[in-house]
Amino acid sequence: MATMPKRVKYRKQQKGRLRGNATSGNYVSYGEYGLQALEAGRVTAKHIEAGRVAAQHFLQREGRVFIRIFPHKSVSAKPLEVRMGTGKGEPAYWTAEVRPGTIMYEIGGVSAELAKSAFARIANKMPVRARMVMRKPSL
Amino acid sequence: MEIAKFKAAKRVPGGQHANQRLRQSGELPAVIYGHKEAPEHVSLPLREIEKCLAQAQHVLELDIDGAAKTFLLKDVQYDHLYRTPIHVDLMRVDRNERVHVKVPVHLIGTPKGLAGGGELLTLMTELDVEAPLLAIPDEIRVQIGDLEINGHVYVKELTLPEGVTALASPDDAVCLVRTKKAAVEVAPVEGAVAEPEVIAKGKVEDGDAAAPEKK
Repeated sequence: MATMPKRVKYRKQQKGRLRGNATSGNYVSYGEYGLQALEAGRVTAKHIEAGRVAAQHFLQREGRVFIRIFPHKSVSAKPLEVRMGTGKGEPAYWTAEVRPGTIMYEIGGVSAELAKSAFARIANKMPVRARMVMRKPSL
Repeated sequence: MEIAKFKAAKRVPGGQHANQRLRQSGELPAVIYGHKEAPEHVSLPLREIEKCLAQAQHVLELDIDGAAKTFLLKDVQYDHLYRTPIHVDLMRVDRNERVHVKVPVHLIGTPKGLAGGGELLTLMTELDVEAPLLAIPDEIRVQIGDLEINGHVYVKELTLPEGVTALASPDDAVCLVRTKKAAVEVAPVEGAVAEPEVIAKGKVEDGDAAAPEKK
């Protein structure tokens, strides 16, 4: 099931720009391995769900999959064959905005080989290039 | 445990551009604090620090202006790609001091319970410990080969090296083997709300009511 916020202050949002690199959410915090975005982009709720299903189906309920991003931003669209004007379209879908460095998914409790294969399956579903990173030892 | 030894240079704390220039020259900005003394700013060779981090070394001996002192690696900041260190925090320590550090927990063996349809849940990948500076363990090894389904390993059951005490609660579980849960299929609810609730709904309605009046 695609996710979206439960309550929002306003239904429609401005487009905005995705500049710079991730300054938060760019460390592996929950699992042992993470899938890191290497470019900026919008990951929709459908992408996130598709990635989760792909990983959990592959892992056969071994280990844990953590989703580190949430679709907070609504994107509006006009219906087909509608003339321009007459105001902004209705919200069509929800997206998470990711910047280079954002950890999108984490996996824990499985071997590195298994995590790598699971991340490869998730990365195929993602609209941005991604790579696997390993958790750094704490001090 | 090995202690890394290398030279460090004092630096005048600068802004982001000064730090960028420092990093481009193969050095890493670092700050030294602790023992109720004023903080010092130093630069360290990046390659040496990367070696220490790769070997999970906690203790460094730095030669700063001819005086060798011991420091504890307290914190490391990485770049946005979680790849290269960009700043290091060092803490002043005495050689006979006890320090608080995190040590990785290494699980050894395959639990017996996995053959009976169980799954291993690792709850603690690293353990907070208090240890003498020169006897910080590289890792805590935990044998889990005998774990059956619903079996736990608690912090109180860990065998720690001499002089090392765990700071986590003794009743905290390190790992457990539980029965695999059946996958729950979430059926889509009929008439599910397709849009989130709008907090400022009253305002939106007012706006809609006022909209036709606009020309």
